[in-house]
Amino acid sequence: MSKFLIKGAVAVAMLAAGPALAEFPLEDKVTLVVPYSAGGGFDTIARIFAPAVEVALGTTVVPDNIPGASGTRGGQAVSRADADGYTIGIYNIPGLNVAEILGRELGFDLSSVTWIANLAQSKYGIAVVADSPIQTVQDLCNLDHSIKLSDTGTNSTSSITAVIAFNIMGCSIVNVTGYSGSNDTMIAVMRGEVDATLKPISSLAKYIESGDLRLIATLTEETVVEGVQNAADLGYPELAQFGLSRVIGGPADMPAEIVATLSAAFQIAAASEEVMAWAESTGTELNWLNAEDTTAMMAEISEFYLQYEDLLK
Amino acid sequence: MGFDALFSAGYEIVAGGSFLYLLAGVLLGLCFGVIPGLGGTTALALLIPVTYNMDPLAAMYLAGGVMGATSFGGSITAILLNTPGTAPNAATTFDGYPLAQQGKAGLAIGASAAASALGGLIGLFTLLLFIPLAKQIVLSFGPSEFFLLTVLGLTAIAVSVRGKLLRGLIAGCVGLIFAFVGADAISGELRFTGGVGYLWDGIPLVPTLTGMFAISQMIELALKGGSVADAEATPGSMKVTGVWAGVKSVFTHWPVLLRGSFIGTIIGAIPGLGGTVASFLAYSSTVQTDKDPDSYGKGNIKGVIAPEAANNAKDGGSLIPTIAFGIPGSAETALFLGILVLHGIDPGPAILLYHEREIYGLIVALTLSAVGASLLGLLLSRYLILITKVDVGVVVPVVVAISLTGVYVLDGRMADVILTLVMGVIGYLMIRFDYPRLTLVIALVLGETAEKSLHQVQLISDNQVLAYMFDRPISVILIVATVLTFLLPMVRQVMARRKMSPM
Repeated sequence: MSKFLIKGAVAVAMLAAGPALAEFPLEDKVTLVVPYSAGGGFDTIARIFAPAVEVALGTTVVPDNIPGASGTRGGQAVSRADADGYTIGIYNIPGLNVAEILGRELGFDLSSVTWIANLAQSKYGIAVVADSPIQTVQDLCNLDHSIKLSDTGTNSTSSITAVIAFNIMGCSIVNVTGYSGSNDTMIAVMRGEVDATLKPISSLAKYIESGDLRLIATLTEETVVEGVQNAADLGYPELAQFGLSRVIGGPADMPAEIVATLSAAFQIAAASEEVMAWAESTGTELNWLNAEDTTAMMAEISEFYLQYEDLLK
Repeated sequence: MGFDALFSAGYEIVAGGSFLYLLAGVLLGLCFGVIPGLGGTTALALLIPVTYNMDPLAAMYLAGGVMGATSFGGSITAILLNTPGTAPNAATTFDGYPLAQQGKAGLAIGASAAASALGGLIGLFTLLLFIPLAKQIVLSFGPSEFFLLTVLGLTAIAVSVRGKLLRGLIAGCVGLIFAFVGADAISGELRFTGGVGYLWDGIPLVPTLTGMFAISQMIELALKGGSVADAEATPGSMKVTGVWAGVKSVFTHWPVLLRGSFIGTIIGAIPGLGGTVASFLAYSSTVQTDKDPDSYGKGNIKGVIAPEAANNAKDGGSLIPTIAFGIPGSAETALFLGILVLHGIDPGPAILLYHEREIYGLIVALTLSAVGASLLGLLLSRYLILITKVDVGVVVPVVVAISLTGVYVLDGRMADVILTLVMGVIGYLMIRFDYPRLTLVIALVLGETAEKSLHQVQLISDNQVLAYMFDRPISVILIVATVLTFLLPMVRQVMARRKMSPM
């Protein structure tokens, strides 16, 4: 989206949000629940957005870390709160959808969350060590053993993506999980313990720039890096559906005008100088969606992963 | 290269207002260190939101001040109340507390202050030397080495419990069982959770440690009554002596200081092991190699120097993976990296290239903090020592209330408080029936890494675990070290017998 378009969208959003802003919020602070500890990816984006949302809303926005139980405790806290717009949360998508499909007890109903806005989305790439003889995904699949990949946990979004994506491409993999962070999984590739790793492109970028890793494919519709295969080049355009989204939601049945006000505030924040500068320097792909589009996206995501229920179990 | 940045970071701290941030960090770190249940991790976690509006470098000075000061602060409580102020100070209680009971708390605090400051300096100096090799170091430690390091740690535990091997092994096994509670790190399968959602993420370390050491000790003190220091050992007077003798003792026992610092730096560089393991290994290796191992646990000053040196040296070591690839080597560096992310700095392999200023700022802050905290502690020591003369009826409720609050603050979970109390009772029973508590805790720390990395090696090596390990030079060195650690006490026994026999 060009800068002009963003500015236009902000202007429209401000006009639309005008009347609603007068009623909500009053003096109360808005609590933004972060289901992970301070310092992680979700915490960071929440804290980067908070001051800008604060300006747009005209009230204090306080990020509140409620970590635990794989990010479900935070979601539970939001679901128990009053649907008055003063308690909202950030959600790990599709991590929660997949957990629900796998029959794990989330402690709240994902389908009854009121979706407010989508903030950012990351797409995946596959990388090998820089001096590896492997040039393409085809080379990887033609190895004389199952492809060894590194990941943090079996339930992590990238691990789930790897299982489904390589299944679609008909290649067998061994997912070596248990690494303590996405950086560690990439270092595992450098140490030669595994053949490749599938990670968000923005995470891989640092190691590709430093010359330690080499990108061999991106699970995107369009070509991201010249000469690196995208989903269509691989022959499986559906692979571009995978992604990690950071989504804002609230308790069930929030009044529509409050949702619209909050959503517009996040839109203004997403276009603010501070947030855009931060996104630029960290390689975060901002992708604001309004409440309606976010709700539609959530339905699509659940449906998409439901197809692979058996594979994941 | 690095030295220019180091110099400019040092200059900035003196010239700019950053010195105030550093001082604030040191004071905060000391307080969080002294209070059981609160540690450097809690302090940094609470500081993250505060640093949001700060300049990244100022945030570094604040964080560095905290990181460098907590471990010395924690040693004060360990020595005076037999309650480690932070987890890594647990090993300091073994000889620090007996010294306090003998009225020699000043000696112990002096030694701890000097060992902390010098250990911190040695750790950071080693770090500076190894910065050019940081990448290679990180790349040569994979799951195979992690696993063997945990085995080495577990072996050190087994041989360190002198005279009560069976009790030590029982405590270690219970610790391992605790470590396996929760979701399997590889398969995600739930084990031993008994349907309790709280246990999915495993038994958390901070509540366990606080319960095992702080609460249990408070139960013990409450039942015993009186005050910590024996009234007869310190007849009448409130004079505090021996602080400078304590400082000097570190210089006379410099091999102990060096070994402790060296072990601290190495363990610090291994993600997931942390200060508790570092200081324990430093302590046990000092006991093992001493001519008179029986003098430990009764107030040997070397038993204070080794763990405290290791404890501060580990901060230098834990920056090796951070500098190489922007990955954390400890819980504290993880939060430090979190602060960087918040300031729009994305840690990665090029962190030293693009963010030299922040990294060297942290190194300078850590250095000054390690020294500053010790100086401050020495100045305050004469007042702090009075704690040992206070009636336990006052000490116990204050420590219990503060430490339970500290546990609650970290994640805001009431279940953590309940676990702390349960562990307190278990810890007290272990004191009563003479089972080593630290053995259980170290096994809990090592168990998870051990299980996870062995599982990873199986996957990586297609189940050819041993062949894979023997192919890797560092793995082989670790295997040899483990065998030696195991055999050393036996060899010593045989030697001792030979010496005796000709007579």
